[in-house]
Amino acid sequence: MARIIVVTSGKGGVGKTTSAAAISTGLALRGKKTVVIDFDVGLRNLDLIMGCERRVVYDLVNVIQGEAGLNQALIRDKRVENLFILPASQTRDKDALTQEGVAEILEKLKEDFDFIICDSPAGIERGAQLAMYFADEAIVVTNPEVSSVRDSDRILGLLASKTQRAERGGDPIKEHLLITRYNPERVTTGDMLTLEDIREILSVHLLGLIPESEAVLRASNQGVPVTHDASSDAGQAYSDTVSRLLGEELPLRFHEVQRKGLLSRMFGGSRR
Amino acid sequence: MSLNADSANVAFTFKGGMLPMTVMELTSADPEHIRRQLAGKLSQSPAFFQHTPVVLSVEKLDEPHLALERICAVCRDHKLLPVAVRGGSEPVRQSAWALGLGWFAPVEESRARTLESVSRTPEPAGDEASSVSAAAPGEVDRRAATRLFRGTVRSGQQVSASDGDLIVIGAVNAGAEVLAAGSIHVYGALRGRALAGIHGNTHAGIYCRELEAELLSVAGNYKRMEDIDSQLLGCAAEVHFTKEQLEIKPLG
Repeated sequence: MARIIVVTSGKGGVGKTTSAAAISTGLALRGKKTVVIDFDVGLRNLDLIMGCERRVVYDLVNVIQGEAGLNQALIRDKRVENLFILPASQTRDKDALTQEGVAEILEKLKEDFDFIICDSPAGIERGAQLAMYFADEAIVVTNPEVSSVRDSDRILGLLASKTQRAERGGDPIKEHLLITRYNPERVTTGDMLTLEDIREILSVHLLGLIPESEAVLRASNQGVPVTHDASSDAGQAYSDTVSRLLGEELPLRFHEVQRKGLLSRMFGGSRR
Repeated sequence: MSLNADSANVAFTFKGGMLPMTVMELTSADPEHIRRQLAGKLSQSPAFFQHTPVVLSVEKLDEPHLALERICAVCRDHKLLPVAVRGGSEPVRQSAWALGLGWFAPVEESRARTLESVSRTPEPAGDEASSVSAAAPGEVDRRAATRLFRGTVRSGQQVSASDGDLIVIGAVNAGAEVLAAGSIHVYGALRGRALAGIHGNTHAGIYCRELEAELLSVAGNYKRMEDIDSQLLGCAAEVHFTKEQLEIKPLG
């Protein structure tokens, strides 16, 4: 049975698309047949992050409006087998998405895929609500800062009320928290919220923690999801995240200040 | 979508909303009887009678014709503002419309609530008010008006108990709002807005495990986070309306 997972956050720029790309890549690398759908109609980015922007012919809106078949619009990833991308339209607006159209596409994809990852646009408007509406699970991406945490809180509220699962009253959506851009040093100095603060406010199962990393920016600009960079801290952290999504239990990494810490703990600790 | 097409040029938008509303469940159709009881209530809790909108429920009355105009006049004399009628026969519905009031279909017995639960102060026995409420057939247990919410009340969410107390087992996060006609109990951190006694019950209180509230209000008397003594922030606390102001003190 396919798992439909929405990657969402409320706030923009926290790493939704990066995370959607990295997680889908990770799943495909483990042999899971995965499709990642860009719901950010009008501001599409996923194709850039996945490095397939030159191969986009048809998009999600074309399929919904019957101008192209689903298989014509799906782009096969060049690096990993089992990974497909369904890009968003850059020229339409979000009103071009319809609930019935999205439902139909997801139904068809469910027959073929193990994982359907929906990359939500920022905000809480139509595009974001459609991205989450049919989801079985949600990955809420949060940065260690107050505004991001509050927006994630808002999204968690919507997940519990504005989704098909909520409306039908069955099992609720399974919620996961993914903290990105975590910088242990800046947490120690009080510039960033701590992991414990975020977990306490949001009280949601922690799926993973991605450290702030140069590898992420490099990966985005090169169009290679950071999961491929197995030597980088962020790449390993996403790999751990994927493992947890598949049911493994792994200890958390990269949330503490690294070794050089003895001195910085003596001096940095008192600043807190 | 087309509704929003030229949003710059619209005079209004329709929005759905759930507003707390007091239902006045009539068990007598005699305007004088109602007047006497209202006069008694007015002296007990004057704060409640501030042009409070009420819905007149006539479901419990078995009278095809009501002196609706006179009943409304009695209400207005006591600073209650009838806005609609619930239940009743076809002539009642017609006269409600003629008086410019709305009409609601009757609700099932099981969901009926009484105005009594708004006031938590027990009325002295033998008093006219309590004798009427005791006589009300099928009255729901007062405790049934208490609302229990399990989980986190998240930013943008509003949880209200429009007839009684509200108990939240979990946190109320920043940007969330909890409201109750009675008291509010939060077994967790209170980071959002809490408004107790929304119909004017000054005896209502707010209790929480960890006070970080954006706004606290009892019967319309409020304090912002800025006004709260910073020593109390982060502590278990209780909030009451005493000596004409909000008093916040450590719990226990």
